[in-house]
Amino acid sequence: MRFDYGYDEEQRLGKSYDIKLFQRILPYAGAYRVKLAVSVLLVVAITLLELSVPYITKEIIDRYILPRERLSDDYANMEFSSRKTLAVDVNDPTVAEIVKQYSKLFHVQKDQTVIQLTDLYRLDPAALGQLRHNDLSGLFRFAGLFIAVVVAIFIFTFFQKLIMELAGHRIMHDLRVDLYRHIQRMPLAFFTHNPVARLVTRVTNDIQNMHELFTSFISMVFKDIFLLVGIAAVLLTMDWGLALLTFMVLPFVVMSALAFSKRVRDVFRELRIKIAEINTRFSETIAGIKVIQSFRRENENFKAFARLNHDNYMAGMLQINIFAVFMPIIEILGVTTTAIVIYVGGGHVLSQSISIGVLVAFLSYMKMFFRPIRDLAEKYNILQNAMASAERIFILMDQPTTDDIKPGEQTISGPLKEIRFKDVSLAYSDGQPVLESINLTIHAGETVAIVGATGSGKTSLVNLLIRFYDPTGGSLRINGFDSTTLSPTALRKRISLVMQDPFLFTGTLKSNIFFEAGDLSSKEQDRIIDASRCRDLVTRFPKGLDTLISEGGASLSSGEKQLISIARAFSINPEVIILDEATSYVDSQTEIQLQQAVKNLMQGRTCVVVAHRLTTARTADQIVVLNNGSIVETGNHEILMAEKGFYYRLYLLQDDKEK
Amino acid sequence: MKSFALITPYLAANRYRILLGLLCLIIVDLLQLFIPRVIKHAVDQLTLVQVDQSDLFHYALVILVLGLFIGFFRFFWRHCLLGTARKTEEALRNRLFAHIQTLSPSYFDRAKTGDLMAHATNDIMQVRMASGMGLVALNDALFLGSAAIGFMVYINLELTLYVLIPMPLIVVGTLFFGRQMHRRYKRVQNAFSELTESVRERFAGIRIVFAYNAQKAETRKIEHISRNYIQENIDLVKTTGVFYPLMILFTNLSLAIVLFQGGRQTIFARITPGDFVAFISYIGLLTWPMMALGWVTNLIQRGRASLDRLEKIFNILPELADGEDAIPIEEFRNQLTFQNVGFSYDNDRDNILNHIDFTLGKGRTFGIVGPPGAGKTTLILLLMRLYDVKMGKILIDGNDIRNIKLESLRSLFSLTPQEPFLFAGTVRENITLGSEQVTEADLKQVTHLAALDKTIDELPQGLDTIVGEKGIILSGGQKQRVALARALLNDAPILILDDPVSQVDTRTASRIIGNLRAMAGEKTLVIISHRLAAVRKADRILVMDNGEIITAGTHAQLMADGGYYARSYRLQEIEDAL
Repeated sequence: MRFDYGYDEEQRLGKSYDIKLFQRILPYAGAYRVKLAVSVLLVVAITLLELSVPYITKEIIDRYILPRERLSDDYANMEFSSRKTLAVDVNDPTVAEIVKQYSKLFHVQKDQTVIQLTDLYRLDPAALGQLRHNDLSGLFRFAGLFIAVVVAIFIFTFFQKLIMELAGHRIMHDLRVDLYRHIQRMPLAFFTHNPVARLVTRVTNDIQNMHELFTSFISMVFKDIFLLVGIAAVLLTMDWGLALLTFMVLPFVVMSALAFSKRVRDVFRELRIKIAEINTRFSETIAGIKVIQSFRRENENFKAFARLNHDNYMAGMLQINIFAVFMPIIEILGVTTTAIVIYVGGGHVLSQSISIGVLVAFLSYMKMFFRPIRDLAEKYNILQNAMASAERIFILMDQPTTDDIKPGEQTISGPLKEIRFKDVSLAYSDGQPVLESINLTIHAGETVAIVGATGSGKTSLVNLLIRFYDPTGGSLRINGFDSTTLSPTALRKRISLVMQDPFLFTGTLKSNIFFEAGDLSSKEQDRIIDASRCRDLVTRFPKGLDTLISEGGASLSSGEKQLISIARAFSINPEVIILDEATSYVDSQTEIQLQQAVKNLMQGRTCVVVAHRLTTARTADQIVVLNNGSIVETGNHEILMAEKGFYYRLYLLQDDKEK
Repeated sequence: MKSFALITPYLAANRYRILLGLLCLIIVDLLQLFIPRVIKHAVDQLTLVQVDQSDLFHYALVILVLGLFIGFFRFFWRHCLLGTARKTEEALRNRLFAHIQTLSPSYFDRAKTGDLMAHATNDIMQVRMASGMGLVALNDALFLGSAAIGFMVYINLELTLYVLIPMPLIVVGTLFFGRQMHRRYKRVQNAFSELTESVRERFAGIRIVFAYNAQKAETRKIEHISRNYIQENIDLVKTTGVFYPLMILFTNLSLAIVLFQGGRQTIFARITPGDFVAFISYIGLLTWPMMALGWVTNLIQRGRASLDRLEKIFNILPELADGEDAIPIEEFRNQLTFQNVGFSYDNDRDNILNHIDFTLGKGRTFGIVGPPGAGKTTLILLLMRLYDVKMGKILIDGNDIRNIKLESLRSLFSLTPQEPFLFAGTVRENITLGSEQVTEADLKQVTHLAALDKTIDELPQGLDTIVGEKGIILSGGQKQRVALARALLNDAPILILDDPVSQVDTRTASRIIGNLRAMAGEKTLVIISHRLAAVRKADRILVMDNGEIITAGTHAQLMADGGYYARSYRLQEIEDAL
């Protein structure tokens, strides 16, 4: 269904890694060892109780319904239809009375008073009840025991599942948060190399797969195997010959389960891929509907879709057929064991080596025997899947967090005085510099405008300033300290970035504006909202600051989003503002608000503006003109106009409106 | 149940398969019920020692044969019944897809892609489940259930009544817990979506997280959302954890009744020990039909809700459909005209196009320029009738385009959209768009004209390279050129290019513009461009701003005016020179 990406990149690192994976998972599980231990104990208890269910039935039959030690062959009357007799206890006064009453039906055989089983029918029901009152009360006791056992199974199973899931989910939660924290510590370059979707899959789907490891796997190891061993032991004690005979069917069950699970895994994968492709086709058709309709390719597109849909149908039919073959095979094998028990076990009853109760118990146990074996193969697949996910998770966890920025420990005390680029160069990949020999000094309180065509290196310069990257050559010094010795977090606290394409998170207006501002009094909040000209925007919504913003801020215009990102910059009261001017179309009303907001934000702060409109550049203390990664001109407006270079020509061409 | 009509044709078409499947299912059910009877006879005769080894062999053989037949028929019902459900699924999904393709772009502006996707997968799956396993469960519940009860009554009515006491609890329990599980499962899914979306959002906006030092706060939020996800899971477990063991408990209570009451009856010799053992087996057989009864109710309800949702989509009619008297149009003869056209995407908002008036002659080249948001792209969407005008009209050779058959109207145009949209297939498929009459020579020609030939040579599998979702492996400029080749291959009289070279480097751009210019006269060209060199040689250039045409003329006229066009043109000259 959802989030099906990622299955094509399952690179395996070999079996030896499995052990290491267990070692990695163990510390996470260790924190919940009490819960896990209780869960395992409960599993053992449940298994024992389940094993006892058919045994109680057997005991009821053998002790009270067809009491084994009191049944014997009637040697005296070979000509009667039944050769079985039931012994009665004449020392019991109630029984003795009945014997007296129906003396014709009873006779003495080997010091015992016996009655033929078929003759029991000839007794009056009340008399029969009195004759067997001990059997009846025994039956009552055992039925009571049976109810106690099944109620206990119910209660234990519930708690076992709950505790197990709780522990499993908590372990996964810890792992998920650790993984998230780890990814968040990665340098920015990591995020440009890894598609977001893949990282998300690690944190969500892969962790979810691993959850199966705890619930399915532990119940498999402790329950299924324990149950299998238990049943085998009980069967062997009851009648080892018959047990061994029925076990002969097991290899076939295991073999077909293995063959089945492999095929089923393949076909499930095929189905998953096909459904993912169908979904892609659907969403592509919706996204590209204008292309399809304007090129009139509805028929071709439908044919392609119908082919996919048919492939999906074929995979579905294959799945149905695999199940339709496997289910009957397992059933036939099950019936075969029933037939063996009836034939061989029946023979053993005839030769009196086992009782009827044992025969019935055998039939029940065989039924219990089949389920875990059938599931073992499936659970092995789950395990494989979980291991593959675990592997991907831990490979990511093992990736070092610092690649292209040095963490640095030092912090600058006191206000920021100067930022100096000394012969700085930057290359995102080897041999392809995006910035070269940049020399630039920014003093506190100054406004610096960066001007240049697309791809000239404006954004890269900003990336260096906020330390998303460190220079690959030269040095960036802040108050004289080499930036690589400084703590990036402490540095970023002083800098606020207003991006060209403002990024909003799902949440309220409030959580987006006061994103990382800590506790602000409502007075301060009001001041920020007014200064950033967000008042109109906030009052536009009935819920004000508590208005929920949907995914990506879809309900807001691009101008409004920019206003929010300016307010966000305000909220942390930074010393340095980095402003990447937006180029997208904004209506004139919002445009005026934006300009006022930017002006307020820049007031009394050091500003670096990536300027697309020369209005901003004109008032700057310093204008830096970039071309192809190098600075071609620097100076203020007057100087650059006098130089009659690139800036001069650019300025003359500006729309009159913008001047 | 009106929406049920959606699937009746498919069920009717497969009626023989369904009947055969049901017949096999009933046979399986009956045969299953006979095995306990065979066991009963064996046990009874063993009790009284009335059998010998050969009789036992006979019984074992009967059981084995019954098993073989069960297996044989089981294969067929699974194949027939579940297979029909799969067929229905396929046909329904095809129908939905075909329907969605006919809807107008304005519908997709409003509808959420996610919702439509949910219909395509989830709802259709629910329908499949209801019509496949639902049918099986219904049959089992009714037939297997009543037959099993019949066999039990045949043995002993009184005992049967006792044993059936917990059974309604299974039906009600399945019904109740089934609903609760479904609800809670949905909540788990929602929580999972929320978790996925929050993680995605934070990774996508990682620059803001870094720049504002928000790592700790965001981790706390993720922790919180992850906790919530756990809570929903635990809530689900509380239901599933009760449900399955509880159903087993109810079955076991029936078993307890058999043990006690059946045991008493055996001791009182009202039933034989064999009957007693058979009863135990029947209890095992009865559990599933009872659960099925509750299950099938939920399944069918869910299937019906899904059918209702699907029906709603099927009932949406395309906004732009041919009228009864729509005329086909063979060719573009003379001219097309915009007469005082006004338009807005949303009726509640102000028009984004106003007073658009112009005429475009056959074989001429037309340029449209203006700042972003001026309404250039909207203009051509109206021309191709992807949307309808709100005011005024558009005429082709004197016919209002709303009276022309949509299919024949659109066949006049070939478009490269501003944002080139590529499908996940190969480069070739993206150019031909599935058309089968395309020759290699045609492809060679259009890729050459779109300056795509060198790029294709560099791709690992040339034209057959898979470009990935939305053409992810290609750069913006490469995507634009693929879209251009696609438009050129489509041999329509009017070629509309919406900013065709915005992401292509200057040299390649001028090569493409040169190639396009060579087609002038033979084709009618409409070029929207921010790169003004591309429209320089046009016969007429429209300058738009704020949804209106502010001026029009040739390059020379507009340069003389000294307005937006002249200023932008000079600015670009300087940038190109650098």
